[in-house]
Amino acid sequence: MDIWNQLLQGFVTAATPINLMWAFLGCVIGTAVGVLPGIGPAVAVAMLLPITVKVEPTASMIFFAGIYYGAMYGGSTTSILLNTPGESGSMVTAMEGNKMAKSGRAGAALATAAIGSFVAGTIATVLVTFCAPLIAEYAVRLGPPEYFLLMLLAFTTVSAVLGKSTLRGLTALFIGLAIGLIGIDQISGQARYTAGVPELTDGIEVVLIAVGLFAVGEALYTVLYEGRTVESENRMSKVHMTRQEWRRSWPAWLRATFIGFPFGTIPAGGSEIPTFLSYATEKKLSKHPEEFGTTGAIEGVAGPEAANNAAITATLIPLLTLGIPTSNTTAILLGAFQNYGIQPGPQLFQTSSALVWALIASLYIGNVMLLVLNLPLVGLWVKLLKIPKPQLYAGILIFATVGVYGMRQSAFDLVLLYAIGLLGVVMRRFDFPTAPVVVGMILGPLAEAQMRNALSIGEGKWTVFVERPMSVALLGVVLAVLLLPRLGKLWAARRMAAVQG
Amino acid sequence: MSQHPESRTPQTLIGAGALAASGLLAAGALVISSEAGYSGVGPNFLPWVVAAALLVCGGWILWEARSGGFRNMEEPSGAARGDWRGFAWVSVALLANAALITTIGFILSCTLCFVLAVQGFRSAAGVSNRGTTTWALDVFTGAAISAPVYWMFTQLLAINLPGLTGSGWL
Repeated sequence: MDIWNQLLQGFVTAATPINLMWAFLGCVIGTAVGVLPGIGPAVAVAMLLPITVKVEPTASMIFFAGIYYGAMYGGSTTSILLNTPGESGSMVTAMEGNKMAKSGRAGAALATAAIGSFVAGTIATVLVTFCAPLIAEYAVRLGPPEYFLLMLLAFTTVSAVLGKSTLRGLTALFIGLAIGLIGIDQISGQARYTAGVPELTDGIEVVLIAVGLFAVGEALYTVLYEGRTVESENRMSKVHMTRQEWRRSWPAWLRATFIGFPFGTIPAGGSEIPTFLSYATEKKLSKHPEEFGTTGAIEGVAGPEAANNAAITATLIPLLTLGIPTSNTTAILLGAFQNYGIQPGPQLFQTSSALVWALIASLYIGNVMLLVLNLPLVGLWVKLLKIPKPQLYAGILIFATVGVYGMRQSAFDLVLLYAIGLLGVVMRRFDFPTAPVVVGMILGPLAEAQMRNALSIGEGKWTVFVERPMSVALLGVVLAVLLLPRLGKLWAARRMAAVQG
Repeated sequence: MSQHPESRTPQTLIGAGALAASGLLAAGALVISSEAGYSGVGPNFLPWVVAAALLVCGGWILWEARSGGFRNMEEPSGAARGDWRGFAWVSVALLANAALITTIGFILSCTLCFVLAVQGFRSAAGVSNRGTTTWALDVFTGAAISAPVYWMFTQLLAINLPGLTGSGWL
């Protein structure tokens, strides 16, 4: 079978000592980044983007992917032992996991999180292995109109569906699109919004925006508002699951994998929705509902953690096959590909097939590495939580500097970095989502090019977007995503009124 | 949702900021050519769309701010009032770093940034610095982070970072 051969070839590439070293390094950094509060996978990958200048593409993509899913493993450790989620996907884990840790079962919670992540990550990787080539084969047939609408769908979901306010989500998206406009227009070659500054003709680096919003913004927010917040740390216990805990965990892992995976594949961004869905499912199906929210139910950790990892792995499908990022981190991974002059999309499986398959193979290897790193060695990671906050955040600022300065060697960028950090503080304080900014600035120029190409095909007529069945269907999905939640809310409100009246 | 009266001004400012961004984009869009070719829309099309969208969003934000505050707001985490003294330390740390990095080199500049920032976070936590040993320890920690990072980038990855000397070691 063709896929088998290519996958084997991928393993051959991924298992060379140098690539194994990069995968391992990625997993270690990823886990550390996941464990440490105040820094997430998106910003870690962004800070390390300068390495794309020197390291060859396969090695650095393996490295970045290791950071990406390593952070998901590490994030659960923090959310179980502290009450602050290490990254947003482990918010739900923090609820039950922290309860379990408080009643002396931190070890079991950590074990089910790590093994669940492994099970879900591995199953999801198998699914990626078989689905991605099929989707890529199909996606070759998509033309600019369909691509533009797919990107429109990604914009809609990331700004209007996630988060509490559509208005603030859209504002963030358009700020991102505005940033993406700066630089040379891809089609006409004209400079836009450069104000005569030569540095701006290349556009604004995604590193600058991501590191500014997430690292510097986070540090400034912490010093401004959270200086006196004290985190209590739960006591560790032996990392071990009883037979009964195993029996309660594995159905939750499997269910959650199949909840999480589809959410990752569609451009619906983020892992918040599937983790919450999995939590709700487990709560409903559990034979021990009394443990939820009181002493902590193991299903409530096993499910969401597995759903999180399945969704994260599945986000590689839209990234690799369509070139559409659906989260902060995948947006920055797309930036990494672009640094090499590689444009992810359906052709990627032909033009860079060695890279893609090595990357997929490295996911299998990385999951095993992470299981080892996170189960027997969890005690080491817990020590990271002992780093005092001042030193931790001040250290993050050094890494922020090296990431941003290393990219373009411009001290002016460091001033911009501070300004974007301030923007990050305002956005965080007033509940503006940040993912739309990053996705908007990366995907905006691509979407614009597709739109103008589509209109050229249609000789300037907008009807080109409704002339093909696939594009009509996509337009329908965009409208549904925008309208259905609102209609649902309206309907619920009316029913409430009827009941009360 | 009831609004904290003190968040009315900042919320209004955010709306005004979005409107200002829209105005800037529109002003910039005026000088972008509209030469459209076959597609009927030129390089100035998206700039106008984004400017218009930000005009609508900014206006809407302004309206929300003036009529009871942002809707569906997640309560922000942390203290109600900002610790501006700590914030000033960290701001100075970052800006000093930007100003000095090309003259005194990456290691020294980042160490300074580290020391100042740590100071800010301590002050925000309400801990005062306990004399010269703490300062010395901070300087040491800062250097112990920035020096290996510097060497890794300049020696291993051969990425240019500014040094005090041309040796690539300091």
